Amino acid sequence: MSIMQYNGGSVIAMVGKDCVAIASDLRLGVQSLSIATNFQKIFPVTDRLYLGLPGLASDVATLHERFRLLTNMYTIKEEREIEPETFAQLVSSTLYEKRFGPYFIEPVVAGMQKTPSGGYKPFIAATDLIGCLNFAKDFVVAGTASEKLFGVAEGLWEPDLEAEDLFETISQTLLNAVDRDAFSGWGAVVHVITKDKVVTRKLKGRMD
Amino acid sequence: MNSLTERFATTGYAAELKRAKDVLGEEEDGLDPMWGSQAGFGNLASGVVKFNIPTVPDPSAFLRMHTDDFADPSCRIKIKHGTTTLAFRFQGGVIVAVDSRATAGSYVASGTVKKVIEINPYLLGTMAGGAADCQYWETYLGMQCRLHELRNRERISVAAASKYLSNLVYSYKGMGLSMGTMICGWDKTGPAVFYVDSDGTRLKGDLFSVGSGSTFAYGVLDQGYRWDLTDEEAQELGRRSIYAAGHRDAFSGNTINLFHVKEDGWKFIGNYDVSKMHYDGPDNTGGYAYELRVEGKSSANPPVTQ
Amino acid sequence: MASGGGGAYSYSLTVFSPSGKLVQIEHALAAVSSGTTSLGIKASNGIVIATERKSSSILIDDAVIEKVAVICPNIGIVYSGMGPDFRVLVTRARKSAQSYWKIHGEYPPTKILTQEIANIMQQATHSGGVRPYGVSLLVAGWDVNRGPMLYQVDPSGSFWAWKASAIGKNMVNAKTFLEKRYNDDISLEDAVHTALLTLKEGFEGQMTEKTIEIGVVTVPSEAELEEGKVEGTGRYKPTFRKLSEEEIRDYLAL
Repeated sequence: MSIMQYNGGSVIAMVGKDCVAIASDLRLGVQSLSIATNFQKIFPVTDRLYLGLPGLASDVATLHERFRLLTNMYTIKEEREIEPETFAQLVSSTLYEKRFGPYFIEPVVAGMQKTPSGGYKPFIAATDLIGCLNFAKDFVVAGTASEKLFGVAEGLWEPDLEAEDLFETISQTLLNAVDRDAFSGWGAVVHVITKDKVVTRKLKGRMD
Repeated sequence: MNSLTERFATTGYAAELKRAKDVLGEEEDGLDPMWGSQAGFGNLASGVVKFNIPTVPDPSAFLRMHTDDFADPSCRIKIKHGTTTLAFRFQGGVIVAVDSRATAGSYVASGTVKKVIEINPYLLGTMAGGAADCQYWETYLGMQCRLHELRNRERISVAAASKYLSNLVYSYKGMGLSMGTMICGWDKTGPAVFYVDSDGTRLKGDLFSVGSGSTFAYGVLDQGYRWDLTDEEAQELGRRSIYAAGHRDAFSGNTINLFHVKEDGWKFIGNYDVSKMHYDGPDNTGGYAYELRVEGKSSANPPVTQ
Repeated sequence: MASGGGGAYSYSLTVFSPSGKLVQIEHALAAVSSGTTSLGIKASNGIVIATERKSSSILIDDAVIEKVAVICPNIGIVYSGMGPDFRVLVTRARKSAQSYWKIHGEYPPTKILTQEIANIMQQATHSGGVRPYGVSLLVAGWDVNRGPMLYQVDPSGSFWAWKASAIGKNMVNAKTFLEKRYNDDISLEDAVHTALLTLKEGFEGQMTEKTIEIGVVTVPSEAELEEGKVEGTGRYKPTFRKLSEEEIRDYLAL
């Protein structure tokens, strides 16, 4: 079995109209044995930037701490908070640094990006475990249920969804995809990010 | 006269036996075109194994190379794996409970698999391992049991049926059959459970659980098992045990199928959604979920406020 | 034993004199003060940096002398003091800008690059076996967050942001001149002319497009910013550039 599937778990992010959403399941397993129903895989980076880290659980913890360090250093040095696109680059270069002994994580970045005129635009990106960036305009997926997430998202997503509709779309996508994946599920969490607030909701999912 | 009526009657043991033999090609009549290829049954019953075998020096090694063992997930053909099944004997008969998930790798291929095979009204077989192997050979076992009945004018014992299956799979040992099954029923000796697997193991016992989730099921089963369980208690124990496996084991879940075998044959008790068991329980009076059982009971688990 | 004003303290860079000075740094500043004059002016819509380009002999092919250097598409620097030291710093600064790009996918803000250069210069003031860099720098750049910024870096590694500054031989006079001429809403065009006028004060010899160098930062318009990256290149339009000899000639003619 691949080490990418050792602990299980999945993350998805979607673009809406003036909003983005990022969601994950809450399972932590050891191969087929499910251990915890409250394992956090999505972490806030700034007030309007979230990072999803599906993959090997020990690397989830390591990379979360590492990116916390890097973003704190950035904030201090640059005297401002990091923008989503810059952060995605930082994620990419941090992962490629370990090209020949990678972290077993496929990060997903979702946030609202400042525009030169002072507005905000939705931004999502994902990388593979050695940092190949994928800037998508619709949705990105990662984790053990990624194939299933692609399938469901391809069917449910549409452009310019308002925050509430985006929440519904990403929730249904995630719940239905993880029900077809043995290593994901056991509850879910969704964050909907708009320019001035983040709404976080826990979902009641299948518990098998 | 008597033999003449028997010979040409359309009902009765002799007629049925003849028809069955016809179907199986045991007698001169040969193939009935109605049955098409006969899916291998005809060939086997005539005593000669006539499965197509790969024309390579070592057919079983060839098959192993291309089918899914947990050792090699990248293989081409994925046989569906992962299951929790259990059966136990008690004062009131036999409880048979199984989950309904079929997985191919990490993919949940189905959530509505029937893992209890109804061999005949008095015999149940459970399915773990290769779905096709279990389905095929237990159906075949059903035919043989019926033939036994016709030949001997009495139902086959659970011991004999399970032994037939055990001997059969043993003759294919090393060819890649994958089965872990429990043959359950009620015969002259009362309720009976036999464990049979494709290695050739055959065990008589009170309580078995088979499959990737069996350890979780055993945990609940062992803790709650008594010979003098009432019918309701026994059914609940079976359901609760499969729930535990469905909850903890990634390869088990979706729904629970519950059967109860009594003196007058088996009865299907019901189909239960594992997630519904988690949140609400079988009769909506309280779910099995850990969170629900600890909520508000200590300072570490305060009541959920929303 | 040691010659010069520092006595025994003038050799070892890492030893303070009793008065609390690192005498080598003061010597480095002296080297800067004897270098050719350079200056920078921040305008409302850009920055100009300019310097005198003098060659010691008419036989030198001065086409290859470069005193205003592009570090990355949004930052340029000019120096007064020792040419070779500047060359080393330019190389280091360019590398630093590229490694920033490699990590963040964008070029560094002016302040970050200035800090990097200043750190390099500071390290030379307390490392064994080295001397301080004999240059002062003017760093001009633009970034989306702080806009146009002009910094001066000294051999000690200290740096400040300026609206206008001058370094080198004529810095005192030039600064006085700039103080008189400067106002906050000066345009880039006017700033270039002011720069030329300032350089002219105390300029030795003829001021031509061959004897001066000019670099300018142009603040991109809102439309250019919204447009974002240049099609096909994946990069933003450069905001710092050196003026060509023709452009300088045109400015001088006015």
